[in-house]
Amino acid sequence: MRWLCLIAFAISTTVLAEDLMPDQPRSSANDALFGQALFSLHSGDYQKALGLNQRLKKRSGKGYGKILDIHKATAQLGLGMSKSAKQQFYSLISSDKNTIIPNIARSQAWFYLAQHFYNKGQWDTALVSIRKVKVAYIDEALKDEFHFLSATLELFQGDVTKADSHILDISQTSLWAAYAFTNLAISYTERDIHTSKVEAVFNKALLMTKYTTHPDELVDKINLMAGQFFFSTGRGRSAIKHLKNVSLDSAFTPKALLTYGWALTEQWQYHDALQPWYMLKTSHSPLNQDVQETLIAIPHLLEKLNAKVMALGAFDYATKQYDIIIEQLEESAKRLNTGEFIEPLLAQQVPDRWGAFEMVDLSLPNHPDGIYLKDVMGQGAFQGELKTLRDLHVMRSQLNNGLTQLDAFKDVSQTRQLEYQEIKNDKRIISSAKRLGKFEKRYKKLNKKIKVAFKKPDGKGLASESEKIQLENIAAVDKRITHLNQLKDFKSQHYKQRLRRAQGIMKWQLSERYLKRKKKVTDSLALLDRKLKKARAQHNATKLAYVSAPKAFVGYVNKSNKLAKKYQRQLVELEKVYQQQREKVGSIVKLDIKKRQQRVMDYQLQARLAAARLFDETSNKDRSVADAGVSQ
Amino acid sequence: MKATRSFVTIVLCMVSLFISNSVMAANQAGLDASIEELKAEVVELNQELFELEEQLLYPATTSFAVYVSMESVDDFQVSSIKLNLDEQDVTSYLYSQQQVKALRRGGIQKLYSGNLKPGLHKLIAEIQGKDADGRVLKRSVLAEFGKARSSKYLEVKISHNDKQNRPDFAIVEWK
Repeated sequence: MRWLCLIAFAISTTVLAEDLMPDQPRSSANDALFGQALFSLHSGDYQKALGLNQRLKKRSGKGYGKILDIHKATAQLGLGMSKSAKQQFYSLISSDKNTIIPNIARSQAWFYLAQHFYNKGQWDTALVSIRKVKVAYIDEALKDEFHFLSATLELFQGDVTKADSHILDISQTSLWAAYAFTNLAISYTERDIHTSKVEAVFNKALLMTKYTTHPDELVDKINLMAGQFFFSTGRGRSAIKHLKNVSLDSAFTPKALLTYGWALTEQWQYHDALQPWYMLKTSHSPLNQDVQETLIAIPHLLEKLNAKVMALGAFDYATKQYDIIIEQLEESAKRLNTGEFIEPLLAQQVPDRWGAFEMVDLSLPNHPDGIYLKDVMGQGAFQGELKTLRDLHVMRSQLNNGLTQLDAFKDVSQTRQLEYQEIKNDKRIISSAKRLGKFEKRYKKLNKKIKVAFKKPDGKGLASESEKIQLENIAAVDKRITHLNQLKDFKSQHYKQRLRRAQGIMKWQLSERYLKRKKKVTDSLALLDRKLKKARAQHNATKLAYVSAPKAFVGYVNKSNKLAKKYQRQLVELEKVYQQQREKVGSIVKLDIKKRQQRVMDYQLQARLAAARLFDETSNKDRSVADAGVSQ
Repeated sequence: MKATRSFVTIVLCMVSLFISNSVMAANQAGLDASIEELKAEVVELNQELFELEEQLLYPATTSFAVYVSMESVDDFQVSSIKLNLDEQDVTSYLYSQQQVKALRRGGIQKLYSGNLKPGLHKLIAEIQGKDADGRVLKRSVLAEFGKARSSKYLEVKISHNDKQNRPDFAIVEWK
């Protein structure tokens, strides 16, 4: 089963949740919300997609029918909400009456759903889904993968006999052929099939690896699996043949070296067996379980080689090493309790990225638990639980960020409120209105006065002091002329004419100046009028701004407070669940550490017993004396 | 008598074991359910926050947004878009393969959102990408538009010109 998990995760494709959906072009060119939801969904931003989907549904989801439900389920899958997504999907695509999805899309959806659950390790659900796929409707490019999935799921979860036909349907040059034959071989190893048949299938799988994307890795893996199988069935030579082919710098090297050593030991090739074990011991960390086994295997081999004193030394060395390993594991367990083990790993995760398809960043440079963590991550169950913990961690930081943002919103609202109050409380607009009113009144008065002044025929209204004298002179001349006309005996027309000419000149001079003055006054009045109009327009604009001052703060403080309360409540809830999940992950690690410690303690006990036995066998006075000499 | 007592003890042990297993399974299912529920609630809350942010920061009277869409264009793969609004670079965006695929599948991307005063404005979109032969293609599209005291939305539209068999770029105003 361990191999099975290895294979399952190694070949997990980069399927994304949005691939579960059939293509659905946006129905309205200007429906930005739907378009954005579609963009988020297809580009893998499931959180935003689900949020927009909720918004669309609130808007009563007009015209989109079941598509919104499909989107919802897809986004839920992407966020790792498998249970809700499964319910949605089943209710959507299991019903044949549902005509919204054509047969091709339906088959494709079932296929991707199966693939999703297969990758998540929920093989029983995957089998149910894959059996619903109608091969006639599946895309040509997906056919080989479909047969591989069907074969694998039938082999390990369903009907073994059905698997054969699927394997035969896979193209020989497809990359899936190698994986299918590997899985078939694994299935054979579990089903008591004759070893020659198993070997033939392993060899076939090895032949097919050249069509895969990472053939070297797969070759190593197949060789290791074959080697371990043949070693466990007592076919040492076959085991050696396969194990020899595992490269020395792959992830499978430690296990291959260890098994290779044991296989050689079983073949009585003790000298040759020492070499891989020494290699393993010197080039890998003692926390590696294969190295731990090697530590006790080496002295055992030395004893077989009759090098008993060397074996005794090696047993002593192993005992001390085991002490160190137990201590290291103890420290890891302590770090787990004090939050120094998993927490640094969570702290380095990418913010805002969570969900089923977001990988957990496992690199922990210069951290004492780095090696162990990678080792323990090989377990699929732990991987899933750690991913969930990471999701909760990211969500927690999102909620905290949200609270900070809400505080900032409140500040913005309050600043706007202050600005608004400032505008409202500003008395300048009121005082300027009063002043402007006064000016306008005065202007009107002046205008009236001027009009009246210009209308006065004697022009007195506008005359200056000298003009007034001039006017008086004109009046005097006028009076004189009238008086002269009244005189009957006065005959001098010449004098009269001179008087009239003088009067004419005086009037002309006055009218010239009067006209100039009138023009000047009119110009000044027009200027004043323009200025007043401008001031009035400005005043009106300010008044408008004053009246329509931005009231964008209204209700936001309340809204922010309300939302903040929700956030805080959610944060408390999340903290509880986070601690529960943390405990769950911690208990897996603790249990694993305990098991490892127990195993190491068993090795240590064996080493001590063997050392004691060897000491008895090799005890001689010389050695005792020599030891005593050293201690003195 | 002894036999009866031991039988009762065994039965009790089995019952307690069964109960503890059931409780553990129930706890496990409960935790999974709470996690799913939490996820849904967090998504909803974040959406509420996002809406509040939009309303507060981009009021309806001043809000301005630019969207990007790409319809049935197989011979052009957009790699980046840069927006210049009123002689000022306001945003630039690099597209991943997945995002291009999302645009092709009918998605609309909100590339820029901000506030804009009423009046005349100018938007230049610099679109860079690769054509079907892998050659780099760079195009600039310009739009001069007026903005009143209401929200304004523009769309950078990448479409296929069937007559000339080449991609077309345009900025479209949403009514």
